[in-house]
Amino acid sequence: METFQYAIRKLIGGIPLVLGVTFISFLLMVYFGPDKTYELLGKNPTEEQIAEIRHELGYDKPFLVRYGDYLKQMVTLDFGSSDSTGEPVSKILARTVPISLALITPGFILGNVLGIILALIAAYHRSGFIDKFIMGFAVVGMSISFLIVVIAFQIIFSSSYGLNAFPVRGWNASSFIEYLRYITVPTLSTVFVALGYNTRFYRAVLVEEMTRDHVRTAKAFGTRPGKLLYKNILKNSLIPIITRIMFSIPLVIVSGSLIIESYFGIPGIGKVTFDAITTGDQPVLKAVVGLTAVLFVLTLLLTDILYRVVDPRVSLK
Amino acid sequence: MSAVTPDKAAAAPMEQAAPAHRESLWGKAVYKLSRDRMGMIGLGIVLVYLIVAIGVWLGFWATEWGDVEGPKWAPMSAQYPFGTNIIGQDIFQRALYSTKTAFEVGLVVAVLSTIIGALLGALAGFFSGTWIDEIILWIKGVLDSIPFYLFVAAVAFALSGNPYAMHIAMVSTFWTTTGRLVRGEVIKLKNFEFVEAAKAIGVPQLVIIFRHILPNTFHILLVQATIVFVAAIKSEVILSFLGLGVQDGVSWGLMIAESTQEVLAGFFNNFVWASVFLFGLVMAFNMFSDALQDALDPKKVAN
Repeated sequence: METFQYAIRKLIGGIPLVLGVTFISFLLMVYFGPDKTYELLGKNPTEEQIAEIRHELGYDKPFLVRYGDYLKQMVTLDFGSSDSTGEPVSKILARTVPISLALITPGFILGNVLGIILALIAAYHRSGFIDKFIMGFAVVGMSISFLIVVIAFQIIFSSSYGLNAFPVRGWNASSFIEYLRYITVPTLSTVFVALGYNTRFYRAVLVEEMTRDHVRTAKAFGTRPGKLLYKNILKNSLIPIITRIMFSIPLVIVSGSLIIESYFGIPGIGKVTFDAITTGDQPVLKAVVGLTAVLFVLTLLLTDILYRVVDPRVSLK
Repeated sequence: MSAVTPDKAAAAPMEQAAPAHRESLWGKAVYKLSRDRMGMIGLGIVLVYLIVAIGVWLGFWATEWGDVEGPKWAPMSAQYPFGTNIIGQDIFQRALYSTKTAFEVGLVVAVLSTIIGALLGALAGFFSGTWIDEIILWIKGVLDSIPFYLFVAAVAFALSGNPYAMHIAMVSTFWTTTGRLVRGEVIKLKNFEFVEAAKAIGVPQLVIIFRHILPNTFHILLVQATIVFVAAIKSEVILSFLGLGVQDGVSWGLMIAESTQEVLAGFFNNFVWASVFLFGLVMAFNMFSDALQDALDPKKVAN
């Protein structure tokens, strides 16, 4: 019950954030966004036709009224149909979001799990050769641009200059084998790029925990190194780890998938959103931006509740 | 050397060899930085890039980066050290010219976002708990919840073709981390005696914030600026690929974007050399940034 009340309060507290995000996106993407008047008109339109279309699109209304309409549509989940294809927005989302999730999830999980494992190994051998080796690789990984990794991996895995084992572009999830074939190269790229940052972050967190007094005490009592690492160090540094993982989720879904999808020609939510921005497809943008903001608020809430789960001392107030 | 604390005693033998002026925070930091081999190598490489960039800016070299006279896809030779690209441009000159572009993007974004982060972070920290803090935190939260590449795309289209759309978008999102760190530090600093003393003798609030408190966060600003510099260069590459990046001139990102066509045909020069130049600068800057953090953060756990 306490958690429930907390959740409600937190959700209400998230309203200003959602309003802010929708306001900025309205300002940038709709008010200053692409003007669609002339795309919808035939050749040599008359003054009246132009005025009519502008009225239809709502361009002649004052700023605040237009923002009000925008909000109203968002609250009522009435996003309408895409301006470019005429497909209902809800259908577009239902089609593309699962693809993006299927594409991003394996890499996201692998990147974080491998990051934590490498960080544990590095922290265990702190200052030793293995530590320096892993951290050196992390800095190298951090310094290579995502785009370079994608192109290099495509050459290595999917071209006749390399292994030529995987498809270069496109998407096919008709069977599990096909699915694996299509996500292998994108997943390897995301893991490669994320691993450097993750390992460094997690190692820093673990090493900080290692210097605490309770770890020294446990060591003095003769706790085995493996148990020490897991029980005294990893478990106590879960809060920053959870924070990092949770806060990257909303950004990974849209931003992270955008680059991969545009490079690998995968029809996911990132690609759809990017196309919507460039063509001024407002119904799609409205839906994506609104949902991202809501996802952010939900993430904030879920993170706080997870803190409570891993550390009962955290109070939900 | 009168105030050697017990935990410093262990490191005393090495410290005794150092000159005496390192007793100040900055003196110590410079000394520590100069002893960091990786950091100094990184700094050296960054300086080489900087000289290349200044040379381009002054017109010493890479003046023919846009010429299309050369043969298509010439191999590496004395005339074209890195070969030519699909329309016969000299890849070597383009790679050199891009160094200038990278420094322009990096410096503009790093300096501006550090200034904004410092100002807003200091205000939010000093007035923490009031409506000023609430508003600044709200702006930060909103900017952090808009996916970065979508935000840049939106800014680019809203400013329709403004060559600085990319810079503006990066500055308006990259200041938030700096702002958060400065806010935390200012909240800590504002309870110190020197602030109380300044208040007691009637120093105006803004003077306290910007003359007395903010200079004490300079170590955070310096480290953050180097981190933002690297982030800006790396983002530029992706944005250029998406067609939202550098609008005039050439950059490593544009070269890599061009090269995606050439790679399919089996010509790797453009891709490889743009990548090598980019990687070199980012790697060197990362090494320098790490060393700077080690030198400036007294709390940071030694490796």
